Amino acid sequence: MKKQNVRTLVLIMSIFTYLLVGAAVFDTLESKQERSQKRKLDERKWELIQKYNLTKVNFDELEVVMLQLKPHKAGVQWKFAGSFYFAITVITTIGYGHAAPSTDSGKVFCMFYALLGIPLTLVMFQSMGERINTLVRFLFHRVKQCLGLHHTEVSMANMVTVGFFSCMSTLCVGAAAFSHYEGWSFFHAYYYCFITLTTIGFGDYVALQKDHALQNDPRYVAFCFVYILTGLTVIGAFLNLVVLRFLMMNTEDERRDAEQKALLSTRGEKNADGGLSAVSVSASTSSSTPLATTTGGTKRGPKDVYNEVLGFQTVCSCLWYRSRENLQGQGSIPMIINRDLGFSDQYPGDTGCVCSPNQCISSIASGLNFLTPFRAFAKRRSSV
Amino acid sequence: MKKQNVRTLSLILCMFSYLLVGAAVFDALESETESSRRRILELKRTEMKKKYRLSEDDYRQIEQVVLQAEPHHAGRQWKFAGSFYFAITVITTIGYGHAAPGTDAGKVFCMFYAVLGIPLTLVMFQSLGERMNTFVRYLLRRAKQCLGLRRTEVSMENMVSVGFLSCIGTLCVGAAAFSHYEGWTFFHAYYYCFITLTTIGFGDFVALQKKEDLQEKTPYVAFSFMYILVGLTVIGAFLNLVVLRFLTMNTEDERRDAQERASIKRERGLLTMGGITFFCNFYKLIKNEKLTPSIQPLCYVKPKDVQE
Repeated sequence: MKKQNVRTLVLIMSIFTYLLVGAAVFDTLESKQERSQKRKLDERKWELIQKYNLTKVNFDELEVVMLQLKPHKAGVQWKFAGSFYFAITVITTIGYGHAAPSTDSGKVFCMFYALLGIPLTLVMFQSMGERINTLVRFLFHRVKQCLGLHHTEVSMANMVTVGFFSCMSTLCVGAAAFSHYEGWSFFHAYYYCFITLTTIGFGDYVALQKDHALQNDPRYVAFCFVYILTGLTVIGAFLNLVVLRFLMMNTEDERRDAEQKALLSTRGEKNADGGLSAVSVSASTSSSTPLATTTGGTKRGPKDVYNEVLGFQTVCSCLWYRSRENLQGQGSIPMIINRDLGFSDQYPGDTGCVCSPNQCISSIASGLNFLTPFRAFAKRRSSV
Repeated sequence: MKKQNVRTLSLILCMFSYLLVGAAVFDALESETESSRRRILELKRTEMKKKYRLSEDDYRQIEQVVLQAEPHHAGRQWKFAGSFYFAITVITTIGYGHAAPGTDAGKVFCMFYAVLGIPLTLVMFQSLGERMNTFVRYLLRRAKQCLGLRRTEVSMENMVSVGFLSCIGTLCVGAAAFSHYEGWTFFHAYYYCFITLTTIGFGDFVALQKKEDLQEKTPYVAFSFMYILVGLTVIGAFLNLVVLRFLTMNTEDERRDAQERASIKRERGLLTMGGITFFCNFYKLIKNEKLTPSIQPLCYVKPKDVQE
């Protein structure tokens, strides 16, 4: 089966296995606690109902009002600062849900906003991430030079290590800041930063929801926005370094397959054409052994060689070419040096003649020894 | 300035303007509704406090219990089906938040689970999406051949239209299904599918949250999971077609610059060598000496071949 199909099937299988394993582990870790918490809350509920002399219906009523008030508890969510926060959660796909459009027109605008904003953001973060990686590579290279190391090239392992450490430190910086401002434990703040910067965004922990911070503390608000965007850039740079090449794997393989197919079909045509068509060595063909394959096919006599050589009598054409083994047995042959066209890509166009006129003539002349009968004939003609 | 830097700076500026515009529009659309609704609810709250003779403290106590009990309304969230649903929301980065790990151990495992799961999922969706695009391209070509059209190559516009229509189709199918099963309006169900398949995942609308659906309605549960995964594949295929090439633009430009720099260096080096040999030969010509053979790299004359 084609490589791409195998790869895709393997990936699908791994995802399903991964999901099954994850589900089993989460079940083990959380189920018991969920059950005990529910029991406790139910007990507490009945306690409160007794204490305040409420009926179940009353309690449900209260519940409805309280749940509806929940998003409002955190302050005004849709003034400019809050809307900016919301817009960030939309286009970065974090999507906490701490505030969600309640009007239908808000929902419609949200969908169109996301449609354009998400690809724009993806491209922006990858672009920025690539620039950061290039800068880091340059700095690393300089550092290696300054330290006087032998190998100053920056390897992939170097880059991955640096990237990983910057991700960890970004998370730690955020954890420290948020645990201070929001009053969470360091671990919970770290969990919040992680869930935010991987754009999962559960919404169980959300910044800027305490004490009306969105309206009252502009500096903290600015810090949060900058932190989220910078953190996503750092993660984006790491993904650009490590994951992006895998996203292109199938496309690259497909392209390579198509190129090979095209190459095979054109090469087949060339072999059908026959020998002399490729003699004009103008370096236009990009395959690496054009002359070897085409001239080796047909058996050529001295006459063909003579024609060939005469064709190149223009002295300053610096084409040196070598003919194949079947001509070498016929004594001294003109040196037809095969110009390795694999290198023609490297210098666009001829870089200039570097042979002298004498050199060209002498080699061609030395090769024309077998043509003495013709030369005698020519001499006879001139005498007449 | 280099092309990549210009591109990056313009993208940053674009994004900031986009955020500002979005914030302004959301403010205009939602602020008023928010403040009026808040006023109404607060009035109701005062009313109720008076009706049930609750002090602020009492109210706070009840509220705490109510808010904590909220996720339990939707039934057991962490049995196998619920955990599977949660695992999907983690590795696809949808992250509704309808259920979030309560234990610290759960949080830790969630983080490690995401670190490996998210790249794996990204690669899987792009891989499958590319296969789908190739298959669609093949089918379109066949269709064009069958219809007897002259030009049977599938253009980019064809692919983009098909991709776009399949995305819309997927959203509509989901909207119809969820509006039926969850009792939402078609519009709200469409909004839910959109927010889910773009992996934003607010959590204001979440499927499988009605009274023990996760435990009881197994075919509906299976449908929901399949819908999310298949829908993400269709969106992924469209992104693979349209967006992926832009993600590698800077990298490709950087590679091309590096190649150009390397080839210029080589040209200069060889020109220098060629120049040196030329002048040596010229000098020897003048002095009537034996000429050195031409430069090996340029003309590929190997000494042993000359003797043949």
